[in-house]
Amino acid sequence: MSRTRLIAIPILICVLLASMVLAVAVGPTSVSIASLFSSETAGMIIRDVRLPRVIAAALVGCALAVAGTAMQGLFKNSMADPYIIGTSTGGSLGATLSIVFFAGAGLPVFAFAGAAITTFAVYTIARQGGKIPVETLLLSGVALSMLLSAFLSFLMYTSGRSLHQIMFWLMGGFWNVAWDDVFIAILIPIGCVAIYLYARDINIISLGEEDAIHLGVNVERLKRILLFASAFLTGIAVSIAGAIGFIGLITPHVMRLIVGPDHRILFPAAALAGGILLVWSDTLARTVAGDMPVGIVTACFGAPFFIYLLRSRMRA
Amino acid sequence: MKPVEIIDIDVSYGAKKILEAVSFYADRGEILGIIGPNGSGKTTLLKAMSRIVAPDSGEVRLSEQDLGTFSFRDLAQQVAVVPQEISISFDYTVREIVMMGRHPYIGRFASETTRDLEICDRAMRLANVTHLAGSSVHEISGGERQRVLIARALAQDPKVLLLDEATSNLDISHQIEILNIIKGLTVDITVISVFHDLNLAAYYCDRLIMLKDRRIYAVGLPGDVLTRETLNVVYGIDALVKPHPLTGKPYILPTYEYAAKHHPEQGVHVICGGGTGSDLLYALHTEGLQVSAGVLTVFDTDHATATALDIPCVTEAPFSAISPDACSELGRCIDAAHAVVVTAMPIGRGNIENIRILEDYQNKPIILLNDGGHRSFRDFTGGEAEAILHGLLERGAVTAERIEEVLQILKEAV
Repeated sequence: MSRTRLIAIPILICVLLASMVLAVAVGPTSVSIASLFSSETAGMIIRDVRLPRVIAAALVGCALAVAGTAMQGLFKNSMADPYIIGTSTGGSLGATLSIVFFAGAGLPVFAFAGAAITTFAVYTIARQGGKIPVETLLLSGVALSMLLSAFLSFLMYTSGRSLHQIMFWLMGGFWNVAWDDVFIAILIPIGCVAIYLYARDINIISLGEEDAIHLGVNVERLKRILLFASAFLTGIAVSIAGAIGFIGLITPHVMRLIVGPDHRILFPAAALAGGILLVWSDTLARTVAGDMPVGIVTACFGAPFFIYLLRSRMRA
Repeated sequence: MKPVEIIDIDVSYGAKKILEAVSFYADRGEILGIIGPNGSGKTTLLKAMSRIVAPDSGEVRLSEQDLGTFSFRDLAQQVAVVPQEISISFDYTVREIVMMGRHPYIGRFASETTRDLEICDRAMRLANVTHLAGSSVHEISGGERQRVLIARALAQDPKVLLLDEATSNLDISHQIEILNIIKGLTVDITVISVFHDLNLAAYYCDRLIMLKDRRIYAVGLPGDVLTRETLNVVYGIDALVKPHPLTGKPYILPTYEYAAKHHPEQGVHVICGGGTGSDLLYALHTEGLQVSAGVLTVFDTDHATATALDIPCVTEAPFSAISPDACSELGRCIDAAHAVVVTAMPIGRGNIENIRILEDYQNKPIILLNDGGHRSFRDFTGGEAEAILHGLLERGAVTAERIEEVLQILKEAV
């Protein structure tokens, strides 16, 4: 781990904080620093609407980026992310069940359970003879995620919910974020630290499973821990903001180019970059066209990026 | 205390048996080679020793302790593996890869100490990759990447080093470079390596284990394991095993024929010398013909070929002219043969009798092989040999330019 690469971390922290301040200031109602103290309404907009929303966006960005980084390392594949594995959709379906049958009670728990069950279902489907080939894992993730979005849409539609609500769970958004959600989001840094403790193991498992066993890594246990922790982070992210794609795909990839592949520095860098990316995506989503799902923004730059990755992999 | 002991293990993948009743041990500091044809279970045997596969029955013991009782970390402190090749998805530097060898020694909440750095530096020095430390593993050559994997294995500070055909994908110079590094390791490290190249195995290993059809066929010193008989039984090839002229270790020379044909009814006598007849003798022998050769002096290259191929050969003492005894034996050989082939050998006073005798065989088919003009008769007799050969041609001897032509002529002559 070189010193020059470590400099990226304080820089990213500064950029994230600056982005959050700017994002709080930007919005349909213009709020100046001065009016914050003079006007009651301005103070309320900042305190109760924009501030929790920006903090939530930053933390959800962290969660998705860390979950994506862990999955990419685990599967030796820079195309993996919680959205592609189906974890996000599973979380959304869990949240939907809570809304439709329990009036939204215990929603974060349902989202986490949905994410975890989906991840383990995909893991089980893909598992053959004690091993999980990457290809079958990605494909079963995609297939299961299609099935789950169909269930989700069916449930919401038949229970008379609006398309807008269905879109929220499939594409994500921060429009009804309040301080309650931020308190739940406090769990995100805890999950990130838990995964960070396995950063060196992930470096090694990214060389291959047999090699990792030769270097003293308990591979099967590591896989279970990482899948569980990624499901935990994704479940919380989903319960706050629905299923947002591509953050977990792009940030680890770009950060790997900047700070290198060592997960001990890649995790913090990707977490911060994920926060920055989602804060700006959300700012764009709420200022450009009313308050559209933030997944539209992330898909707009994420999907072309995915295609670019696919093309460059095929060339290689 | 044996560093590695395998006691009667069976290994299978599903219903398919891969190894049966395999037992052996490795001594401290020795290089033990595992050889055998494809599918004989070599790699699986190595995997059983690194706990990638578990045996169905039997026991793998490491320093007298069952392999299954080790934690993954403890095992990685004892046993390091150098794979055949490795695909590294991310752009790690050489130093980062080598440092991964220290993983089993570093706690979850700790990071590398100066001691870990020193051990890595030493491992990189031993494997000769220090100058590459900052390079990406994607920028370096295959041979360099293999050395990086050796450095990583050495950074594990292992008691036992397992190599799975670690040099098979490299050219000969890199193979030798890497195996010299392995041979130069301290006596504390026991090396067990799968080899594809039998000559490399014969030179570098203290002992060899030869596998055939899931079982151990032979164990012992390279000279005892690698014999014409074992190679025939295990690999199904005919090969000569000679001492290497410089090292004295066994050296395998395949005859490159899978299974020789056999036409004993047809006899050919070859008059040759000075290495002009080796390829012809080999071709006739693999065609399955009844071949004889001579007269040759015992240090002649062609004599060595004939001996190796078990071709009966009329011989003469070195640097001597052909004696009347040898001459009459030559006559008997020619009598027994259906045809005589004379190669484009140099002819001098010492061996002129070899061709003069042919003047007595008016009705015997005689073929003069000129080998496409690459080699022509060299006459050191002042025209006498030339005159004899000319006379033979006038009386019906034929010339051939290539060995294939000789075979064709012989076929038609029967």
